[in-house]
Amino acid sequence: MTDQQTIRETRPSGRPERDPDLAAVVAAQADRAAFATLYRRYLDRVYAYAFYQLGDHHDAEDATERIFMAAMAALPAFHDEGATFRAWLFRIAHNTIANAHRARARRRTEPLPEPFDPAAPNADPAGLVARADELRTVLRAVAELSEDRRQVVLLRFVDGLSSREIGQVLDRSPGAVRVLLHRALRDLAERLAR
Amino acid sequence: MRSPTPAQRLDEAIDRILAGDRPTVEPELRPLVDAATLLTSALPPLPAGSRFEARVAARLAASSPFARAAEAVGAMARRELRHPGRIIAAGAVSSAAVGVTVTALAVWRTSRRHGAGGRAAHR
Repeated sequence: MTDQQTIRETRPSGRPERDPDLAAVVAAQADRAAFATLYRRYLDRVYAYAFYQLGDHHDAEDATERIFMAAMAALPAFHDEGATFRAWLFRIAHNTIANAHRARARRRTEPLPEPFDPAAPNADPAGLVARADELRTVLRAVAELSEDRRQVVLLRFVDGLSSREIGQVLDRSPGAVRVLLHRALRDLAERLAR
Repeated sequence: MRSPTPAQRLDEAIDRILAGDRPTVEPELRPLVDAATLLTSALPPLPAGSRFEARVAARLAASSPFARAAEAVGAMARRELRHPGRIIAAGAVSSAAVGVTVTALAVWRTSRRHGAGGRAAHR
């Protein structure tokens, strides 16, 4: 069974979750200056999402700026009707980055960027090298995932979105997102075991 | 009640991994949970630069309706000041338009008054 078939079979979703950003959204709808709160809250996460998708700091900054400008312009039209603010924001991010990908089709096949070194500065150098190799292998495996599986992995692990929110971003049911995630991790585990 | 599917159990395990726990799962899901744990290390949070943050914040602040209107007026003034000839021409045209309008109004009022006087004398 394909992912698309699964998605059709597991639609639709259940009860919406509470939006922790709602108060800040209402404040920003009344006074645009209050959008700064939401901007500061989500800047790093949106930037990380853009960076892991586009693989370049300048492109990620450019996309992040466009995402927040678009979000602020569209904020008066946001209504709390099931989708949380962050799902709505990441939907804008998803569309903006998709446009960036279309504009720069060559980036589609480029690997994900190198991760930051997460080890402590006084760690064993041999261990550091092995750790960096391991992380590089993981990133390469993520880059080789199909587009929809990679999207789900990045939204879940980089941005911490729930399956329901990812469904709102990608227009899929939470069940379909969980199945995609399950398949993505099985795919990754197989690649890493080789 | 139906028991959770493997995909649901994996999703719950990921919630716990993201919260910093090490979930216990059945052996079939273990390699997937290990891959998920590796992902949390391989995809660390990436803070945006402080200069970038400040630049975008300034752009967002400048895009409020009042600021946009002020910016548009300022841009138009700057554009026009680069071409003083246009300002002189616009001034001349608008002065001429005012002059023509005032003259036309005066002629119209005078002709009305004469017309009214003529009709009274005729009676």
